[in-house]
Amino acid sequence: MTLVANIRTFYTETRLYTHGRLVTQSLGCYIHMAVLMAREVNDRTILDRFAEDFVRVVEKHTKYIIVSGFVAIAHGRSRGTEDIDIIVERMSKEDFTKLHRDLEISEFECIQSKNPELIFEDYLKQNLSVRYVRKGSHIPEMELKFAKDALDEYQIKTRKKMPFTGTDFYFSSIEMNVAFKEELLKSPKDIEDARHLRIIYSDTLDENEINKIKKEIKRLYL
Amino acid sequence: MKNSFRDKTHMEQVERWAHFVKAHPRAVWKKQVGPLIDAQIIMAEKFYARLAKQQGGEEKIKQLKELRKRAV
Repeated sequence: MTLVANIRTFYTETRLYTHGRLVTQSLGCYIHMAVLMAREVNDRTILDRFAEDFVRVVEKHTKYIIVSGFVAIAHGRSRGTEDIDIIVERMSKEDFTKLHRDLEISEFECIQSKNPELIFEDYLKQNLSVRYVRKGSHIPEMELKFAKDALDEYQIKTRKKMPFTGTDFYFSSIEMNVAFKEELLKSPKDIEDARHLRIIYSDTLDENEINKIKKEIKRLYL
Repeated sequence: MKNSFRDKTHMEQVERWAHFVKAHPRAVWKKQVGPLIDAQIIMAEKFYARLAKQQGGEEKIKQLKELRKRAV
């Protein structure tokens, strides 16, 4: 339903509820109510829309996965976050420059630098992540990094969309997220995220896969 | 994992909410959790807008940005 249609609907309903009496409402109030009603039709959060707009650009250039906190949040975990973590396939400086330019055209800016060559050489090539925000905004941020090892490549290879979330993103597998949170990240927030995901997927979670990934995490990082 | 700041009732609440999410359609749980997620972002942006208007605010925002650059 469009915003205009929502305003009309609200106006009509207001007249109905007041038995035809015209209620003095400011235009701002009408619009506010229309936004609230639109929200019921489209339940995307600011975070969802930010991620959607960002990955629509990224997927034109390379494969990606969304990992970590936003995976839990997209599955209903009730907590906030400042950033969304995204891993993309390694790419050449020239290809990254095209992606960066495309992100700029789409009204995103990189906090680290405006210069794609510097971003590539000083950060991404060194396996450091960089942060993009909507131009003029402070949060949320998209924390972007290149796949840095076999496990990251495996995550991208086994990426999947998760209908439960109602989003159209590619995520790393639930097993991967649970293993990373329980074996490597381990903060209270991560342990709670893992517990949440374990409950949501209690009937389908592959414990053998989780243990296999945990062994690989130990081998690579611990 | 032992958490010295939060007692066990915190994890119990995490689990209770996860069971609620699993048992209800997305439209139900998203309506509850969506405003919480949006509020954090809206409040932060309002804070930055207020800070920018204060004396020295722009400089503080610059310093906060520098912190974020190093946080990667």
